[in-house]
Amino acid sequence: MSVSPRRLLAGASALATLAVLSVSACSAGGSGGNANGTAKTLTVNTSFVLKTLDPGRVYEATGLTAVHALYDTLLTFKGSDVSKPVPALAESYQASPDAKTFTFKLRQGVTFADGSPLTADDVVFSLNRLKNIKGSPAVTVSGLTVTKTDDSTVVVASATPDPNIPVVLSMPSTAVLNSTVAKEHGARDGADAAQGDTAQQYLDTNSVGSGPYVLKSYDPSSQVVLEANPKYWGTKPQFSRVVLRNMDVQTQKLTMQRAEAAEISLDISGKLLDGLPGSLQTSGVQDTVYFLFLNADPGVSAVTSNPKFNQALRAAIDYQGIAALYGKGAAPGAGLVAPAFPGALPAGEESKRDVARAKALLTEAGLTNPTVKFTYPAITYKGVDLGTVATKVQGDAAEAGIKLELNPQPLTTFLDEMRGGKSPLGFTPQSLNYPVADSLINNMAPGQATALRSGWTVERADPAVVAAGRKVTATLDLAGRATAMQEWQRLMNASSPYLVLASNSSIVVATTDLTGADYTAAGWQVDVAAVGRK
Amino acid sequence: MTTLADPKAERALGRRRWLGRLRGGSTSRPVWRQPITVVALTILGGWLLLALLADVLAPYDPLAQSPDTYASPSGAHWFGTDSLGRDIFSRVVHGARLSIPLALAIVSLALLVGGLLGLVAGYVGRFVDEALMRLTDLVFAFPQIILAMAVTAAFGPNTRNAVLALVIVSWPVYARVIRSAVLSMRGDDYLNAARLLGVGPIRALRRDVLPNSIGPAIVLATLELGNAVLLLAALSFLGLGPRPPAAEWGSMVALGAQDLSMWWVSVFPGLAILTVVMAFNVLGDALRDRLDPRYTKGR
Repeated sequence: MSVSPRRLLAGASALATLAVLSVSACSAGGSGGNANGTAKTLTVNTSFVLKTLDPGRVYEATGLTAVHALYDTLLTFKGSDVSKPVPALAESYQASPDAKTFTFKLRQGVTFADGSPLTADDVVFSLNRLKNIKGSPAVTVSGLTVTKTDDSTVVVASATPDPNIPVVLSMPSTAVLNSTVAKEHGARDGADAAQGDTAQQYLDTNSVGSGPYVLKSYDPSSQVVLEANPKYWGTKPQFSRVVLRNMDVQTQKLTMQRAEAAEISLDISGKLLDGLPGSLQTSGVQDTVYFLFLNADPGVSAVTSNPKFNQALRAAIDYQGIAALYGKGAAPGAGLVAPAFPGALPAGEESKRDVARAKALLTEAGLTNPTVKFTYPAITYKGVDLGTVATKVQGDAAEAGIKLELNPQPLTTFLDEMRGGKSPLGFTPQSLNYPVADSLINNMAPGQATALRSGWTVERADPAVVAAGRKVTATLDLAGRATAMQEWQRLMNASSPYLVLASNSSIVVATTDLTGADYTAAGWQVDVAAVGRK
Repeated sequence: MTTLADPKAERALGRRRWLGRLRGGSTSRPVWRQPITVVALTILGGWLLLALLADVLAPYDPLAQSPDTYASPSGAHWFGTDSLGRDIFSRVVHGARLSIPLALAIVSLALLVGGLLGLVAGYVGRFVDEALMRLTDLVFAFPQIILAMAVTAAFGPNTRNAVLALVIVSWPVYARVIRSAVLSMRGDDYLNAARLLGVGPIRALRRDVLPNSIGPAIVLATLELGNAVLLLAALSFLGLGPRPPAAEWGSMVALGAQDLSMWWVSVFPGLAILTVVMAFNVLGDALRDRLDPRYTKGR
């Protein structure tokens, strides 16, 4: 049998085609095929906290990461710096001296992913929709009025002075939607939008933004796939595809130990960082504080409402030892503002242990072997088992002669008890929903909602704390506010029901080939569009 | 052979039947002489001894924290230390004081409740039987651990409620076993004879029915002891058992499972659970082999 040269050639080229196809199939294989460093897919592993991708309703960590990549906001934060918002859709803005009116000048030539231009009408529609559908994130804009003065100018007005409006308008929930498409699918922005808006289902599976990525697929139980927006107005992201994968934290650790390239994990923190190969890079900031709350109502507990007991417990705690329990990236407790945010207490002001003083204070208070029920949620938060920390607190307190009875509760029960205000002593982590620390004053100053849950009324509080809190809200420039915040925290540490144990970091773990995998306390954890390859 | 049995003799014969089987009857060795049973009994005996002498044997206070955290096993700390610097050997030894008595309590309470209800259901019959058996169906319909979790979560997690929850999920099996034993002897001559002689139902249940039906339930209880240890550890692993800082094996495993690179934190309490559960199961199996007619055939 003879074979003609032409046939040989055809056969060879067919083989070659097949080889090329199989090679490209390998490199497009996502997580597994990233070994050669030319992959176009970035894999982000995280334990999903995801209910929706509708910007007007998004409130959960994973949703915020995705929405930040799919949509643009008027302002934004770059990298891990949350001290000052930078321009995004607005190329500049002007604040009135009374901090009530903010005028935004829109960038020209921005288009949505479908090619239609982004106008002031879209901005007004999106912000009004956020406010009026009254989803979880609506509180941040509830006092705002948004109007346009011309096609490229938007004015945001607040009833009360609020220098934090630029920060609020950097949050993913204030994203600008393509109002024409959104309306076609049921989005409404009127005063009755809470009932009339039916766009969530559409927005969960389709993105209508101008961001660097568009939504390819959405499965809230397993994965969310983003693809680069070919019409993006800004610098195009290096990865053409981003896959957010739902993965529990232990599996994330195993995956990262084997990952070779283009892979990120968002939940490995605390002690779990031990044993990760040194070839991985980490980025984190201390954005979570853990604190005890003592009930100030003598009707709930004669012990915890005693100011001397409050001081004694503060002196009994081994803050260094507790920080060590949290592992790398933790610090002993200082103030209620986590170190990541403006207004945190400077290094060197950490609380310190003094068992002898604790014992003396107990004697002064006339308390011998006081016993207090200590309630906490039986959960692991950011890689730390709260039960372990509570047991350490119990051990520390015992050395000073204070007996704590541990009372772990399922999270929902714990939250109910906390709201009920009947726990004599409790323990909880706290992360800010957006990087404005003085929102703490609205919750934790005497007489405010959270403070009342610990029975801390204005009458029971030191007048100096009340005055310091008012001073923060009355200060309109941000630098002045930060200083006032520090003063407020020092007074809070002297007499408030809150006892800050430690602060802990949230951390992004990434393979070394990546750049820009920076953790941010701004809410979206990591800006996936800024992640590139070296 | 007589067809009209002497009630007293037959009753006595019935009562002795299962005790006799334990001794191996006339053909084989007693159950406690078989090698595997001996091993199981030795392990259990060892654990009981450890539990009794925990205060003497444990080198440290099981609750005492120290700065020496996550120390690997060494001469000073045989099983290492945990995240709070507590000595794991001392905690494992003290854990026996919780797990074994609690397992015994769970099984005896379940046997008591289930046994009584089974007796009543089998002896009275009719609608009482129907109602009680549907109740057991209801409990059987849920996986044991899920139902136990629900009960503990509802009442609040602590030792008493964990025990209560496990009793609630485990009594029906005894009720069923006792009921079927009672049903099988309902028409027996000696019971009829006793009734004709004017013996009341309570007395009949106590003197005639219970002694002759309790055998299989006792075997089952031995098998269930291992299960009780395991379920209690599982509840405790999930944070629904004895409150921290109690040295309970399940919660110790949970603590270690947070970071498996410190293997000793979870492995030693895990081994404790393993040995106790295996020993109870082997013992239960041996008893069953000997007492249950279905397993003695063909030997």
